[in-house]
Amino acid sequence: MNQHAVVTDAVSEMQSAICHHAVYSLGMPWRDLGLHERFTAVALAVRDRMIERLLETEEEYRRQDSKRLYYLSIEFLIGQSLGANLRNLRMYESCREALSNLGADLRELEEIEPDAALGNGGLGRLAACFIESLATLGMPGFGYGINYEFGLFKQEINNGYQRESPDNWLALGTPWQIARPQEACMIPIYGRIEHALDRHGVYNPMWLDWKVLIGLPCDMLIPGYGGQSVHFLRLYSARASREFDMRIFNDGDYFKAVEQKIQSEMLSKVLYPSDAVIAGQELRLAQEYFLVACSIRDIVRRFQQDHTDFQQFPSKVAIQLNDTHPALAITELMRLLVDERELSWDAAWEITQKTFGYTNHTLSSEALEKWPTSLMERVLPRHLQIIQEIDRQFLEQVTARFPGDSDRAARVSLFDGSDQQQVRMVNLSVVGSHSVNGVSPLHTRLLKTLLLADFDELQPEKFNNKTNGISPRRWLLHANPLLTDLICSCIGDDWITDLSELRKLEPYAADDGFRAAFQQVKKQNKETLSALVEHSLREKLDPDSLFDVQVKRIHAYKRQLLKILHIVYEYLELIEDGKRPIVPRTYILAGKAAPGYWLAKQIIKLVHDVGNAINNDPRTKDLMKVVFIPDYRVSLAEKIIPATDLSEQISTAGTEASGTGNMKMALNGAVMIGTYDGANLDISEEVGPENAFLFGLRSIDVQQIRQQRSYRPSEICDRDARLQRLVRSFSSGLFCPHQAEFCAWVSQTLLSEEDEQLHLADLPAYLSAQEEAAKAFGDHERWTRLAVLNVARIGKFSSDRAVREYADEVWGIKSH
Amino acid sequence: MEIPIENRGNVTVAEIPVKELDAGNSGDLKAAMAKVLESSSRIVIDLHSMQFVDSSGLGAILSFLRQASAKGGDLKLCGMTKQVRTAFELVRMHRIFDIFETRDEAVAAFNCKVRESQ
Repeated sequence: MNQHAVVTDAVSEMQSAICHHAVYSLGMPWRDLGLHERFTAVALAVRDRMIERLLETEEEYRRQDSKRLYYLSIEFLIGQSLGANLRNLRMYESCREALSNLGADLRELEEIEPDAALGNGGLGRLAACFIESLATLGMPGFGYGINYEFGLFKQEINNGYQRESPDNWLALGTPWQIARPQEACMIPIYGRIEHALDRHGVYNPMWLDWKVLIGLPCDMLIPGYGGQSVHFLRLYSARASREFDMRIFNDGDYFKAVEQKIQSEMLSKVLYPSDAVIAGQELRLAQEYFLVACSIRDIVRRFQQDHTDFQQFPSKVAIQLNDTHPALAITELMRLLVDERELSWDAAWEITQKTFGYTNHTLSSEALEKWPTSLMERVLPRHLQIIQEIDRQFLEQVTARFPGDSDRAARVSLFDGSDQQQVRMVNLSVVGSHSVNGVSPLHTRLLKTLLLADFDELQPEKFNNKTNGISPRRWLLHANPLLTDLICSCIGDDWITDLSELRKLEPYAADDGFRAAFQQVKKQNKETLSALVEHSLREKLDPDSLFDVQVKRIHAYKRQLLKILHIVYEYLELIEDGKRPIVPRTYILAGKAAPGYWLAKQIIKLVHDVGNAINNDPRTKDLMKVVFIPDYRVSLAEKIIPATDLSEQISTAGTEASGTGNMKMALNGAVMIGTYDGANLDISEEVGPENAFLFGLRSIDVQQIRQQRSYRPSEICDRDARLQRLVRSFSSGLFCPHQAEFCAWVSQTLLSEEDEQLHLADLPAYLSAQEEAAKAFGDHERWTRLAVLNVARIGKFSSDRAVREYADEVWGIKSH
Repeated sequence: MEIPIENRGNVTVAEIPVKELDAGNSGDLKAAMAKVLESSSRIVIDLHSMQFVDSSGLGAILSFLRQASAKGGDLKLCGMTKQVRTAFELVRMHRIFDIFETRDEAVAAFNCKVRESQ
C-alpha cells in the first residue's frame, strides 16, 4: 500500500470515528453539534485510539514485572490536551484533514478546550512534562495527583487590578478522563489514638473515631510520542462515604447529611492558588493527606497484584515526592506496613527509605512547609505518632554521632521549637528518603551548603542534582509548528525524542538562507501573538520591534519590578532626554498573583499604570509599547513563547531553584537576559555565554550583602542621577496622575535597606545588559545567529534527559 | 435490631445482622448486644453478613470486647469479609481480637482454652 493510501485510510477512519461519537456518545449528528460538542466528539475518537495502547502498555509492564515509578505531586499543570495528544500519536494531520472534510477547523476546536490548570506554575508543569517523558521513553512511571474541580483561578484585569474568578474546568466534563469507581478507596481521617495492649501485652495504639472519605480515581491518558506507550495520570476526587447518608436523611437531619457530603467533597474542590507556603490551613493538610493516602493504597494494591513479600517492595516500587506536599506518604507507607501488614518497625523503615526520593524546589526558608503539631494531632493522630517515633530514632543516631551537640539535634529534628510546636515537612522528606535532589547545580549546591547543610554532613550520599527539563513535544513540536517544520526540513525529526540532535543545527547559524527562514518563522509567530493581543487588549503591536517578554508567576523574587524599572528608565530617557531607544521594543508581561499577595497585585497594577502612561504618550509612538496579557496559562504560554525575542529571567541570584521558562524560550529561539540564578547559569554555559546576556550579583554576593546587612540603596541612588530620577518618578504622579501617593510604595521599596531583592544593586548591570541586548537585536544577522545557537544548544534541557537521570540514579526503572 | 443467637455449650454465638455497620446503626447494635453481654461472657461474634464498617461500628465491637473482659470472659470474631478485615487492620484492632475464619473454629478456640486451663 502506498503512503498516500495509508494517509487516506487514517483520514477516513478518523472521520468515521468522529461521526460515530457524535451520534453514539453525544446523541446528535455531527452537523448539529456545537463547537464544544464537536471538540468532545473528536477527543473521544482520539481517546479510543489511546485506550488500546494503554491496556497493551500495562500488560507489557506486568508481563515483565517491571519496577514502577510513582510521581506524587499536588499539582499537574497539563494545559490543553487535544493538539498535544494528536501530535504525540502522530495523528494531527489526519485529524485535521478529517475535520476539514467534515467542514470543521481543528485549530478552532483546539482553542475551545479548557486548560486543565491543576497547578500554579513551574512545579506542576514540571510534573506534567515528566509524565509525558516517561510515556515517550516507555518507562513505567505514573503520576498521582488530585482531580481539582476548580483549577487555578481565571485572571481578569479591571482598571489594572487583578480580579479572580473560579476556573470550573470540569463544568462541561472532560473527555480525557476515565473514572475508575471499582478502584475507589476508603480513607480515614481525624479521630484519636486509644493507647491499648494487644493480645500479647504489647503496646497497640488504635486509631479510633475517624471519619471516612472515599477517594475516586479518574485516569487521564498520557500518550508517549509515537503512541507506542500510553500511560495514565491518576487523579483522585474526594467523595463522601456515601453519596447520601440515608440514615441521617431518614432521621430528618437533611442538612446535616448534605453538610457532611459537602465537607468531604471540599477536599478536591479547589487548588490552593499560591506557589509559596500555605500555612496552617486544615483543608490543605487534609488535601495533602488525601492525595497520599489514596496513592499509597493504590500503589500497594498494584504491588500486591503480583507480589506477596514486602521485602521486594523497593525493588518493584519507587516513589518520588515532588516537593514536600506529598511528604506524608512516608508516614502513610510506614503506617500501612507496620499497622496493617504487621511488619516490624525496622523492616518497614528500611523499605520506606529505599522507596522514596524527594525533590526540593525552594531554598526560601519562609516557603518551607510546616504544620502545627496540634493540627496534625487532630487531623492525623496516628501519623503524628509515627512522625514522633521516626524523630526519636533519628535523633538517637544524630546524638550518637555528635554527642552533646543539642543545637544540631534541634536543627535536624522533624519538629520545630522546644515544645514540638510544628512538624517540619522538609526534614521528614529528607530523613524518610534515600535520595534528595535539587533541580539545578546552583540550587543543589545551595541546598547542601545552606538549607540542608546539617543533613549533608550526616548523609552526603543522599544528595544529588537533577536539573529540570521540559518536554520537546509540548514546547516545540506542539507549541511552535512553524519552527518544527523548519528544523525538520534541515536535520530531520530525531530531535523530537533526542533533543541533543538539535546540535546539528549549529552550522545553519551561519547559513544566510536558514537565518532568513528562521527570522520569517519568528516574525510569523510574533504576528500571531500580535493578532491575539489586538483581539483581547485592542493594542496593536509592531512585529518588527523587539519582543521583550517576562511571563511567569508574579512574585517579589522573580523581580517583575526590576523589569518595570527598565521600562520606565527607557521611557524617561526618551521623554526627558530625547534619547530614542536603540531599537523599538514591545514589553510583554503576563502572570498571575496569588489572591492574598498584596505586593504581587500591586505589581500588576503598576505594569498597567506604567503601560497606560507609555502607550498613551505620542512621543513613544513606534518606539515603545507595554502590554500585560491577562490569564497566563499553559495554552497562552504556547503562543507567547514562540513569539519571544528576549527572554527575561531576572530573579534575585540564589532564589529561583531552576526555572523552566528560561528553557522553553531558548528552545523557541529567544535569547536570554538573566541573572546568575537557577538554570540560567547552565543554559548560558550550554549555549555559550556570548549567546546570552547574564548580569548582576552572584548568589554568594547576595548572601554576603544580606548577612552583613550592607545593602545601602540610597547610596547607590545618590551616585547616579539617572537612578535618582527613575526612583523619584514613581512618587511624582507620572504614572498615577490622580493619586501620586499610590505608586509611592515603589520608591519606598527600592530605597529600603530591607529590600530583600536588592533591586537597585542589580539595576545598573541590568540596564547595561539591556543596552547590549538592544544593540545585538539591531544587528539582525547577529541576533538571528544568537537565537539559532540557543535552539541548537538547548538539547540538554529536555525532560527526557532529566527523567533518564532520575531513572538511572534514583528510581531504578528501565525503558521498554 | 434483632440479633440471631446460637448457644454452643457455654459459648454464645451472636450474628451481626446488618450489611453495613456505621454511625447510623451502631447504637442499635449496642442496645441489642447488651442483653447478650448480660447473659454470657464467652461470646463469638459472627460478622459474615457485614460488608462495611466505619469507626463507630469498630468502636461498638471494641466495647463488646471490653465488657466481656471486664466480666472475666472473652469475645472472639469470625466470618470477617475482606473489607471488614481491612478496616480492623487500618486501626490495628486485628491485634487485640482473636479472629477466626469460621464459627466452629472460634467456638473450638474457647473449648481449647477451657481444656488448657483444666
